[in-house]
Amino acid sequence: MPGAERPHYGLTMNYPVWEPPLLGGGLVIGIIAILHVFVSHFAVGGGLFLPLTERKAYRENNPALLEYVKSHSTFFVLVTLVFGAVSGVGIWWAIGLVNPEATATLIHVFVWGWAIEWVFFLVEIAAAFIYYYGWDRLDAKTHLLVGWIYFVAAWLSLFVINGILAFMLTPGKWIEAPSFAAAFFNPGMLPTCLIRTAVSVVLAGVYALLTASTIRDVALRIDVVRYAAKWVLAGAVAIPFGALWYIAVLPPLAREIPAGAASAVTIFAALSVFFSVLVVTFTYFGPYQHPRYFNLAFAVLIAVLSLSSLGVTEWVREAVRKPYIIYDYMYANTLRVADVARVRQQGILKSALWVRQHAVDPERPEVSGREVFRVQCASCHTVDGYNSIRFAVKGWGPEMIEYQLLHLNELKAFMPPFVGSEAERVALRTWLLTLNPQPTIREPAHPGVQAEVPAVDRPGATKP
Amino acid sequence: MNPVIPAPVPVPLPAPVWLVHLLQIFTFVWHLLLMNTLVGGGVMLAISSYLGRRDPHHRDLVQRLARVMPPVIAFTITLGIPPLLFLQLLYGQLFYTSSVLMAWTWLAVVLLLMVAYYGIYWFNFRQEALGARGFWVTLVTALILVRIMLTYNQNMSLLERPQDFYPRFLQTPVGHYLGSFDVGTLLRFAHTLVAAFAVAGLGLMLLTRVWRAEAPELAAWAQRYGLRWFLAGTGVQFLVGPGYLFSLPVEIRNSFLGADTLGTAILAAALVLAVLAMVMARRSPVFAAVAIAGTVGLMVIIRHLVRLARLRPYFDPHTLPVQGQWVVFAIFVVLLLGGLATIGWMLYKFFRPASARATSA
Repeated sequence: MPGAERPHYGLTMNYPVWEPPLLGGGLVIGIIAILHVFVSHFAVGGGLFLPLTERKAYRENNPALLEYVKSHSTFFVLVTLVFGAVSGVGIWWAIGLVNPEATATLIHVFVWGWAIEWVFFLVEIAAAFIYYYGWDRLDAKTHLLVGWIYFVAAWLSLFVINGILAFMLTPGKWIEAPSFAAAFFNPGMLPTCLIRTAVSVVLAGVYALLTASTIRDVALRIDVVRYAAKWVLAGAVAIPFGALWYIAVLPPLAREIPAGAASAVTIFAALSVFFSVLVVTFTYFGPYQHPRYFNLAFAVLIAVLSLSSLGVTEWVREAVRKPYIIYDYMYANTLRVADVARVRQQGILKSALWVRQHAVDPERPEVSGREVFRVQCASCHTVDGYNSIRFAVKGWGPEMIEYQLLHLNELKAFMPPFVGSEAERVALRTWLLTLNPQPTIREPAHPGVQAEVPAVDRPGATKP
Repeated sequence: MNPVIPAPVPVPLPAPVWLVHLLQIFTFVWHLLLMNTLVGGGVMLAISSYLGRRDPHHRDLVQRLARVMPPVIAFTITLGIPPLLFLQLLYGQLFYTSSVLMAWTWLAVVLLLMVAYYGIYWFNFRQEALGARGFWVTLVTALILVRIMLTYNQNMSLLERPQDFYPRFLQTPVGHYLGSFDVGTLLRFAHTLVAAFAVAGLGLMLLTRVWRAEAPELAAWAQRYGLRWFLAGTGVQFLVGPGYLFSLPVEIRNSFLGADTLGTAILAAALVLAVLAMVMARRSPVFAAVAIAGTVGLMVIIRHLVRLARLRPYFDPHTLPVQGQWVVFAIFVVLLLGGLATIGWMLYKFFRPASARATSA
C-alpha cells in the first residue's frame, strides 16, 4: 500500500468520513433537523399556548374550552416529549457522525452552555409530565403555575441552544478573542432568538388548528379555530422584522448567496418567503375569517405549508453558511482555515488520518482521487445522490476540471478552496473524469487552444 | 500497526479533567439506574403481558407498569445527555471515531428509540383495545430496548480499543461496522442486562409502596415478584460479573484483585453492598435500593478506571490544555440547584396526599 506509514499524531482532517449513499451526510442532518425544528418550536410555543388558553378557560368559566386544552395537552405530550426529544438527540447523533470535528469544537466552546440548556430541558420534561398527569391531581392555580414553569424552561432552552446555533454562522469576536461570552453573545444571537420565538408562536397556532379542527361542538370549534388563527397571525407579524435584523448582521457573502450568487439558494430563499406568505394568507382568509368552514384537511394544509416554509428557511440558513461550517474558522469539509497552508504544503492524503493511501498511487491515480474526494468533498457532495458530483462534472473535460479545481472558491464563493498537492489535484481530476463518458473532442473554441485529453488522466490508458 | 487516533480539537477544555470526570460519573450513575429500570422494566412488561393472558396478577401488574414507563423512558433519555456530553468533551476523538465506524448501527438507535417510545405510549393508551396483541407491542419494545443497550455496549467497548479502529476501517466501508460480538463485549452486555433485571425488580418493589393503599393484595404479590427478579438478577450477576472481569486484560483485571489497593477496595465494597442488598431486600426494599445504588455508583467508578487503564497507552485526557470557564460553570451550578428545587416543588405538589391537596384547593 503506498504511503502505509501513519502520519504523525495531531493533524487536521481527523475523522473517518461516512458517506450515506444518495442522501449524503448533510441531508441526513437536514431531514432530522427540519422535522425536529418543526416540533421543538411547537414545544416552546405550545408551552405558552397551554397555560394561556387554560387561564382563558378559567376566566371565561368555559369547561368545554378546558376540556379542549386537556385533550390538546395529550397531543402536545405525544408530539413534543417523544418526537421532539428523540429527534433532538437524533441531531446530536447525526452531527457527530457527519461533522465530528465541528461537533467537538462546539462542545469544547459551549459545554457549559449545553449543560445549562440541559437543566432547562430537565425542568421542561418534569413540568410537562406533571402538567399532563396533574389535570385531576393539582388545583387550578398550581396546575397553571406548572404550565408557566414549563413555558419559561422551554423558552430558556431555546434561548441557549439558539445562541450556539447562531454562533456557527456569525461567530463574531470569538474568532479573534475566543471566550464563552464572545461566542454566545454573537451578532446573530438576538435576531435569531426573536425569529425563533415568533416561529414558536406561529407553530403553537398551527398545531392548535390541527386539534381545534376536530372539535365536535360547533360553537366551541369556531371559537378555538379563530383563537388559534390569531396565534399564527400574531407570531407572523414579528418574523419579517427579525429576518431583516438578521440579514443586516450576516457576513457579506452570506447575504450575497441567496441574493443571486447561487441560484438554488435564491430559489429556496424565495420559496421561504412564498410559503410563509401562503401560511399567513391561508390562515387569514381561512380559519380567521371563516372559522365555521375550517376542517382537518385545511389544518393539515397549513401545517404542511408551515413545515415547507421552515424546511426551506433552515436549508437556506445552512446554505448561506457555506463555505464554512463555523464561519471564518472551519470549512464545511472540517478543514480549519488556519490549517490550509500547512495541509496544502504537505498534501491532503498525508494530512488526513483516515485514508487508505497516504500518497498518490502513480499506477492508479483514480483510486487516490477517490480518496481525495472522500476526505475533502464528501461532506457536501455524494457521487450519485444529493448534490451529485457526477452531475456536477458532466460534460467537463480535463481542462475544465483542472480550472475549476484551481479556482474553486473564486468561481463558486460558497465552496472551500481545493487544498492539496498538485499530484492530488491531478488524481482527483483523473477520478472525476471516470465518472462520465468523456465528451467527444470538439473543435477548439479558440484558435490555438488544444482540447485534447491527456492520456495520463485516463485510467487504463496506455502510457507513452 | 500503530493505532490511528484523531487529535483532540485545539480548543482548551473549559474545566479541569477531574471536574469533568466527576460530573460524568455522577450523572452517569443516575442515567444507569433509570436505564436499568427501563430495560428491565420493558422486559418485565413483555413477560407479564404474556403471562397476564391467564394470570390476573400479571394483568393488573401490566396495567400499572405501563403507566410508569413513559416518564421512565423520558428521564432515561434526559439523564443520558450529560454523561454523553462530558464523554464527548474528554474522549470525543475516540467516541466520534467509534461512532462513525459503526454509523448506521449507531444512528439506528435514534429511530429504534422513537419506535420503542411510541410503543410504550401505544400500549399504555390502547391496552384494552389491543387485547392479546398488546403482548407483541411490549415484546417488540423490549427487544428494541435490549438492542439499544447492546449497541451502546458495543460503541463504548470500541472507543476503549483505539487499536481496533484502523483495522475496522480497512475491513469494512465506513459506517458499516456492526459492532463487536466478541466474548468480552458480550460479557459486558450480559453484565449490564442482568443488572437491569435486578434493578427493575427492586424498582418494582419500591413502586408497590405507592399502590399499597389502593391495591394491597396486588402490592403484596408484586413485592414478592419484584424480589424474585432482584434476587435472581443479582445472583446471576455473581456469575456474569466475574466472567466479564476475567475477560479484561490481565493487568487491568489484577488491579481489582489485589494488585491495586484502591481498585480492589472499590470492587470489594461494591460486592459487599450487593450482598447486603440481597440479604435486606425482603425486610427493607428502601435499604436494598440505597445499597444497590451504592453498588451501581462503585461499578461506574470501576468502569471509569477500566476505561482509563485501557486507554492509558494511547491517550490521557490530563494532557489536554485547560482554560476554565468558571463564571459560566457557576451559572450552571446555580441554575441546576434552582432547577432541581423547582422540580422538587412540583413533585411535592403532585405527590402530596389527596387530603392535603383538597384542603389547599
